[in-house]
Amino acid sequence: MSLVGLVECKTRNVDSIKRAIGEAFRLIDYPLPKAEKIVIKPNMCYYWDWSTGQTTDPVFVAALISLFREEISPNVKISIVESDASAMKCKYAFKYLGYEKLAKDCDVNLVNLSTVETEKATVKVMDEVFEFMVPKIIMDADLCVNVPKMKYMSFTKISAALKNIYGCNPYPKKFEYHSKLDDVIVALNKVMPFNLHVLDGLTVCGSKTLRLGLVMASQDPVALDAAAATVMSINPKSVAHLKLAEREGLGKIKFTAKGADFDYFRRRFPQKSLSEGAIAFGYRVACKLGLDKRLI
Amino acid sequence: MKSARIIAVADTSKKALNYAKELGIRRLFTDYHELLKQPNIDAVIISLPTHLHVNCAISAIEERKHILLEKPIAAKLEEGEKIVSVARKHDVKLMVGYPLRFSRKFIDIKRKIESGVLGDIQVAHAINIAAGPFTHQVESNVPSAVPEWWFNKDMTGGGALIDLGSHMINLTRWYFGEVRRVKAYFGYRFNFDFEDHAICIAQFESGTIAVINVGWFSQKTQVSIELYGTVDHTFGTHKSHSKVITAIQLILGKNHAFFIPYLNEVAYFVGCIRNDCQPSPSGEDALRDLKVIAEAYENPILF
Repeated sequence: MSLVGLVECKTRNVDSIKRAIGEAFRLIDYPLPKAEKIVIKPNMCYYWDWSTGQTTDPVFVAALISLFREEISPNVKISIVESDASAMKCKYAFKYLGYEKLAKDCDVNLVNLSTVETEKATVKVMDEVFEFMVPKIIMDADLCVNVPKMKYMSFTKISAALKNIYGCNPYPKKFEYHSKLDDVIVALNKVMPFNLHVLDGLTVCGSKTLRLGLVMASQDPVALDAAAATVMSINPKSVAHLKLAEREGLGKIKFTAKGADFDYFRRRFPQKSLSEGAIAFGYRVACKLGLDKRLI
Repeated sequence: MKSARIIAVADTSKKALNYAKELGIRRLFTDYHELLKQPNIDAVIISLPTHLHVNCAISAIEERKHILLEKPIAAKLEEGEKIVSVARKHDVKLMVGYPLRFSRKFIDIKRKIESGVLGDIQVAHAINIAAGPFTHQVESNVPSAVPEWWFNKDMTGGGALIDLGSHMINLTRWYFGEVRRVKAYFGYRFNFDFEDHAICIAQFESGTIAVINVGWFSQKTQVSIELYGTVDHTFGTHKSHSKVITAIQLILGKNHAFFIPYLNEVAYFVGCIRNDCQPSPSGEDALRDLKVIAEAYENPILF
């Protein structure tokens, strides 16, 4: 069973978050390795800033950078990476979400993976072979750190560590993968295995946005996602990409939680009610049936 | 609408043209000049990015087409002035789209002000706060790409103030008359070179002071106005029904409540053409709004 460390962090400032992240690493027995080049992948799904709970808080990333500089080396080269998506362009998202300012303040690089050198890689998931272009900056890094959020998602039930790596695919027209999203998420995690996963649960977006104050860390993305799903009151075994990821050897759904009271966060997480789920489902069906076109 | 028919659509987007085709429009163009040359078109609705208004509007006027133009009238004052003067020269009806003027709630407030039941309006607070271009529920709750021009101040003429503020400035001018002086605070939460929120303080010739509060920073939309008179207060808002009510309305084949003012606006514009009367809000009206906005940009409140 993999370890997942949980720490409560009530204050949104670099020092408090840094302490919480350091504690989470200690709980999972993770000593920071020697590294010259570090890649950090936050979640920047759209033009929604940290306060909505949808995207990784730049202050959380600043705390992580400060910890690496303290514990690994003040001269370690750090790059924050993201790629263009169907509805989001990095050049605007970096600015909008506060990452341009963070890069300037912390002297780190901002990298749009859709514009960098890549190498072709093939990977097999179940019986299907997938081909992706893998950014060289990820292949060359000594330490790859995934900093996801935890969210409900209509296509995949949850979005956390495994889903965040989907954003490392430099191909911008990501909606083309939606028909086999679970397989593609697992395939991308196989070609770009990250060393460490640190979930920013300070502000979360469930049925509503809430300051949850949760920091979770694990070396196992499947375990971290299983823990996130449990906090969100979703059975991890009902999440197709988690089951597939376990089958493909990316990690274990069964996890051991260490640190703060797991149930405390589960009770506080703003879970989707049955009626909200039904309304959202009905609305999607209405749109699918073309009823929205009656607006005209 | 029985008194007018949409017979042609021009757009550079194939998706938009396909949508028009699905709705039964047979004359489709990728170049608007070709549409404007069609002889049996009386009027056009121009709903283009702001920086493209001037050329398209002038081409339409030169082809003697009456125009319902998306707000703001233009990105720059001189472009707005050009549109208005060419329309006047060619005797073409020019209306600018401010749908709040066609919302029953806001029309009721206008009647209350004119009837005197509120007394003299001393203070007003107009709010238009939403996600602006950073909206995500355009199509089936799937995030939609923000068109590039929205990030270019030269193309938009500014940020939240020109985009959302133009609605509220037009509405408050309709209620209280001309603006004597205006100042504004501009906020830049999202680090762009255009404001994502603004708070305008406008003093009207009538003596009313209006605080106009606009923003692109919120996932929740609020469009409202509060009026405080010497006799009474009033409040009006323009909003959607809940998703459930909207879904029921759509299933019953009714129009989405949020869009009824838009339909009223087009019906009024068609009526102005049929009855040969000048539409309001006119091009001149929208140009005055743009002048107030330009003055606000020139008079920032700094902290």
